[in-house]
Amino acid sequence: MRISGRPPDGAVGFVHVDMDAFFASVEIRRHPELRGRPVVVGGAGRRGVVAAASYEARAFGVHSAMPSARARRLCPHAVFLPGDRRCYSEVSARVMAIFEEVTPLVEPLSLDEAFLDVRGAIRTLGPADRIAASIRERVLDQEGLTCSVGVASNKLLAKLATERAKPRSSPEGPVFGSGVHMIAAGAELDFLNPLPVAALWGVGPATARRLAGMGVETVGDLASLPAGRVASALGAANGRKLHRLARGIDDSPVAVDRRPKSIGHEETYPRDLTTPAELGLELTRLADAVASRLRDAGVRARTVNIKVRFGDFTTLTRSVTLPHPVDGTRAVASAAAGLLDQIDPAPGVRLLGISGSGLADGSVRQLSLIDAEASLPDRPDRLDQIDPVVDEIRARFGTSSIGPASLARPGDPLRVRDDGQNRPWGPDAD
Amino acid sequence: MGMKFRCERDKLLEAMSAAGRAVTSRGGALPVLSGVRLELLGGALLVTGSDLDLTISVNIEVAGSADGVAVIPSKLTADVVRALPSGAVEVTVADEEANIVAGSTEFSIRVIPAEDYPNLIPAEEPGSSLAGSAVTIDGASFRAALRQVVPAASVDEARPILTGVLMVPEAGGLRLVSTDSYRLAVKDLAGTSILGEDQKVLVPGRALAELARIIGDSGEVSLRLAEREASFEVGNITLTTRLIEGDFPNYRGLLPTGHPNKLTVERDALLEAVRRVRLLAQESTPVRMAMGPDGLSLTAATADVGKAQESMAAAYEGEELTVAFNPSYLMDGIEVTTGPEITLETMDELKPALLRSVGDEDFLYLLMPVRVS
Repeated sequence: MRISGRPPDGAVGFVHVDMDAFFASVEIRRHPELRGRPVVVGGAGRRGVVAAASYEARAFGVHSAMPSARARRLCPHAVFLPGDRRCYSEVSARVMAIFEEVTPLVEPLSLDEAFLDVRGAIRTLGPADRIAASIRERVLDQEGLTCSVGVASNKLLAKLATERAKPRSSPEGPVFGSGVHMIAAGAELDFLNPLPVAALWGVGPATARRLAGMGVETVGDLASLPAGRVASALGAANGRKLHRLARGIDDSPVAVDRRPKSIGHEETYPRDLTTPAELGLELTRLADAVASRLRDAGVRARTVNIKVRFGDFTTLTRSVTLPHPVDGTRAVASAAAGLLDQIDPAPGVRLLGISGSGLADGSVRQLSLIDAEASLPDRPDRLDQIDPVVDEIRARFGTSSIGPASLARPGDPLRVRDDGQNRPWGPDAD
Repeated sequence: MGMKFRCERDKLLEAMSAAGRAVTSRGGALPVLSGVRLELLGGALLVTGSDLDLTISVNIEVAGSADGVAVIPSKLTADVVRALPSGAVEVTVADEEANIVAGSTEFSIRVIPAEDYPNLIPAEEPGSSLAGSAVTIDGASFRAALRQVVPAASVDEARPILTGVLMVPEAGGLRLVSTDSYRLAVKDLAGTSILGEDQKVLVPGRALAELARIIGDSGEVSLRLAEREASFEVGNITLTTRLIEGDFPNYRGLLPTGHPNKLTVERDALLEAVRRVRLLAQESTPVRMAMGPDGLSLTAATADVGKAQESMAAAYEGEELTVAFNPSYLMDGIEVTTGPEITLETMDELKPALLRSVGDEDFLYLLMPVRVS
């Protein structure tokens, strides 16, 4: 169905870059003998999940977020590798730096995905599709990795265009895509109308079902409905937003903010934790890692959040906003412990996570009238004075060289969380 | 038990709203506390809300036709009464429903079983530890004093003692002290002698904030003190609060004895300037005050957002100095330090700074700086 509507505003100058099978490709680049073989990066354990799969593995139906055990059944001859997040972060930073040579307007979505606003670069570097092709070449030259690039007049369309540019898996091996796909000015609605409505941001399974009930299957169907009907079916704000997206209208800017919004860690356990003692230990471990990363990033968290997932996948989150932002191991741990106390672990905790958000400049500290006077030995902020010492020791001798005593076991290495290790995603089977 | 009365909508709304402010929004352990309790005796209706720590009762005159007790949902009923047109309202409670009728509008609201409501002994009743003689305080000056000290009390439930305002006798008058450990407010009410010589009480800041709302522009507050609770009566409203147990920090030790540097500035101008500049002090960044012979310069900057700068005339004695403050704490301090001109006395950029009003010896606001490393 063709619909008439306002064409999207602005020049074709929005670019979406998505690395192809990023983690798997990084692994293949450093282990060239794996080229052409199915490679799966992810947790090896009973509860591990796939973080990335090469196109060879995808041909067998393996995809990210799938339980590793299922991936093994689908593709038993695949090479299963644990993840190395530190390495991926380093590669990602170098790739993002390539984007920033083109435009300062870069919005990273994750390690392997970013939006770029290249409108300001068109005059000097040529049309956006040519810029996109050159970004792709530079990433391939410099990092030996391929990416797919979508180009359009806004972020929504650019991201959808990327899907068109992506390689596809097939039983005969990967079929490489165009690498760059541009939706030209004026062609937006022709591109958008036939797509399934679930392609739009904000259309999850529930919304898709409700829309299907109204006879809406494609984006074009949705766009041709009167705005009022969409609003009454999906709510005023959400309905208006989706109706605009369906007509190709998205005026969200490329949001440049390199500072993280939150810093956190979570961990899935090989077996459910039920006792406060076990949970307390894991909490200490996570708090130590989170606080140490806060300090590393030079920020303090005003809000401490915990996430608890039970064996039946029910997930609870709790948060507390502190009077002043914190970066101390003890302060993060005690805030998180206060939150965990409100949750009954009896059903069995499968996953525990801690994060700090509301991040503030770590060099700013509100002084206290009273604490300066008091010198009680168990004051948490006094114990925080050891944090810089711990940081220094770790910088010189490695993360697991020092840590909370409760994580030590005779004869075993200190069980601190260390992202530099070749640590599997998710736990190993016990 | 049934109950029936008629009264003006405005009067009922006022009572419901005042009592409702003590009702906890968190639900808590006792669901019945999400309601207000109505007790009708002849022509007197007592409306009570409580979260067990704080209880507010309002006594209004109504045209009663059947005495009784009922507990009705606080927020919903207040919303209903608020939505009614001005004029007479008739309330009838029978069985499990409260019927609220005004003109051609009728609401039926499910009541909460009244027998679950905890026994909150009104102060006047014999048997209450609060029974006995009351002391009266001038309402307007007490309200002004409360508004000066309550903002410095902590709202962090993890530090219960600091959520209270300390009341102690001082030089024949009453002294109010509050601190959240980042700032400290001290107010003396000369000539207001309500405590025994060695008596000190720690009253929750939240209760005093409510009390300040209740006290009108004139009139008196009568205060009754008991070992564990205090009650304040203002007109037809009685506020009863649990007292906080524990030792308040030794605030006298925190009061600096001398400050070498002194800035004197027009209060309203400073307030306006901080209000403007703080717009760029986001994400816990401070407002910096640079003081020198040329006056005062305020700056604030937030990474990736922007910065603000404002200079203003001010008299300054002392060495050039820049001190950084949490903008909210600084604003609070300037707001409660009333008078046309105020002084900011400092020692250095890490020591407490003192805000006072020129010529007012009865109030001080001590503020710790923010350290920027």
